[in-house]
Amino acid sequence: MFNLKYKDDLYKIILSVFVLSVISVFLIAVTVILFYSYPAIIRYGFPFLWVKEWNPPKEVFGALTFLAGTFMVTFLALLFAIPFSFGIGIFLQEYCPLFLRGIFTVIIEMLAGIPSVVFGVWGVLTIVPWLRESVEPFFDRHFSSIPFLKVEENIGYGILAASIVVAFMILPIISSITKDSLASVPKIAKDGALAMGATKLDVIKDVSLPYALNGIYGGIILGFGRAVGETIAVVLLIGNQAIVPKSLFSVGYTISAVLANTFTFAVISPIYASAEVELALILLAVSLIINIVGRNILNKVIGGRFNRSQFGGG
Amino acid sequence: MAEQNEIKVEVKNLNFYYGNYHLLKNINLYFKRNSVCTLLGPSGCGKSTFLRTLNRMNDYTEGAKLTGEVLIDGKNIYDKSVDVVELRRNIGMVFQSPNPFPKSIFDNIAFGLKIHGIKNREFIVERVEKCLKYAGLYDEVKDKLHKSAFSLSGGQQQRLCIARAIATNPSILLMDEPTAYLDPASASIILDLITTFKKYYTIIIVSHNIQQAGRISDYSGFFLDGELIEFDEAGNFFTRPKDKRTENFITSRY
Repeated sequence: MFNLKYKDDLYKIILSVFVLSVISVFLIAVTVILFYSYPAIIRYGFPFLWVKEWNPPKEVFGALTFLAGTFMVTFLALLFAIPFSFGIGIFLQEYCPLFLRGIFTVIIEMLAGIPSVVFGVWGVLTIVPWLRESVEPFFDRHFSSIPFLKVEENIGYGILAASIVVAFMILPIISSITKDSLASVPKIAKDGALAMGATKLDVIKDVSLPYALNGIYGGIILGFGRAVGETIAVVLLIGNQAIVPKSLFSVGYTISAVLANTFTFAVISPIYASAEVELALILLAVSLIINIVGRNILNKVIGGRFNRSQFGGG
Repeated sequence: MAEQNEIKVEVKNLNFYYGNYHLLKNINLYFKRNSVCTLLGPSGCGKSTFLRTLNRMNDYTEGAKLTGEVLIDGKNIYDKSVDVVELRRNIGMVFQSPNPFPKSIFDNIAFGLKIHGIKNREFIVERVEKCLKYAGLYDEVKDKLHKSAFSLSGGQQQRLCIARAIATNPSILLMDEPTAYLDPASASIILDLITTFKKYYTIIIVSHNIQQAGRISDYSGFFLDGELIEFDEAGNFFTRPKDKRTENFITSRY
């Protein structure tokens, strides 16, 4: 017969092993990445971040083109996704009839669950032709003098195509966090404004959004984290050329896309592989920082719901 | 029956339903001008719901239905021609726990004026100061009017909410257990305020606390299971209740 205390300890040990194994996998991964990127870090130093050329045969490696592509896609995707997400979040929480809210919420969450390669295929089949047939000719006719809007090759693939599809992918994250943050605004705070004769719009503008703002920031940051690491959809859409994009319609390359496309044959040359692992290290660092910051903000909001201000307590 | 011009609010045959629940059952009563009336009853008896029918706060509640009339100065506030925004300007409301807006102390009080279209800065500054003085808060906050309202203590926040409620110069004040979450000292300050305020306002308070109610009321009503069991002058209500159930309640048998 088992002693209860002994049984408890046994569970504790088993569970601890599970937890420790997850943590150690993470630590091992980080260590391996650091270990393999070390030769490139030593050889190329900080200029790795701003050298444009990426030439494996000559062993010249600079990450600038990929960094530029990554941040352009991320930035544009956020730019497209944020206004829509706010609209969706505010609509679902404040205006949508209850029976529809459930349906819409499920649809948006399903959007989040679609594998990214499916988004990529969809982008190739719809967004790329649309850009090539309609959008690019239009911009070519009317805005060709504006550098950032210049159409270089009218092929549909490029930064814009990738950004639009990534925007769809981060839309569910930002809109559902916007909705949840608005839902966490204490009812009594909204009632206070309504009782003064505020309209629904006044309440959203002056009470709900200020209350929910930190949570919404957290949602944006998580969306950023997703966008910065998005791979397969981007590989299919961005055009995959190591150049610094000069226009919305340029082709480009991102860190995750170059790793997905070339890492399998980069391993034949130690320094080529090391340079690519250093790219992975940069991506890992950026997304870790972003996630930590985002989660901290979200936790603060959840903690903030129970602070003194809502419960008197003089 | 009081004379017509003495009556500020009159409730006639009021029924309130939420889904299948009949929350308020045929309520009839009136509130006299410049009096303090407390509504008592155990939790869930409908007294807060009733209070919220007086400024139509249940308008946004899905599945709610109301029949009957609430007359303020002789006019039914559920009439189609009534402007809810204007109605609420005339009725201040204070809630169970302090609920300042996520804004500065100044902007909390200016909020009501701004949403009712007042833009004159001098007028707003003057009004904010006046309301803070009325609520007995001015001396404590005059040096930090532009700090967040959340920096105040619970008792101060509740007085800020009272100042906010009177900023639009209402004639009625509704208070839903305004001292429920306050320490005795803060609660006492607010009870004193209520007593001085009846010069200016008709005050209707929902309360759990029989002692507090006895101290400030001119009239009192007792709700049980959505019915108004008894409504009378405070003197009679607390010393010679007519209904056995009221007596049981005020002698704390619920």
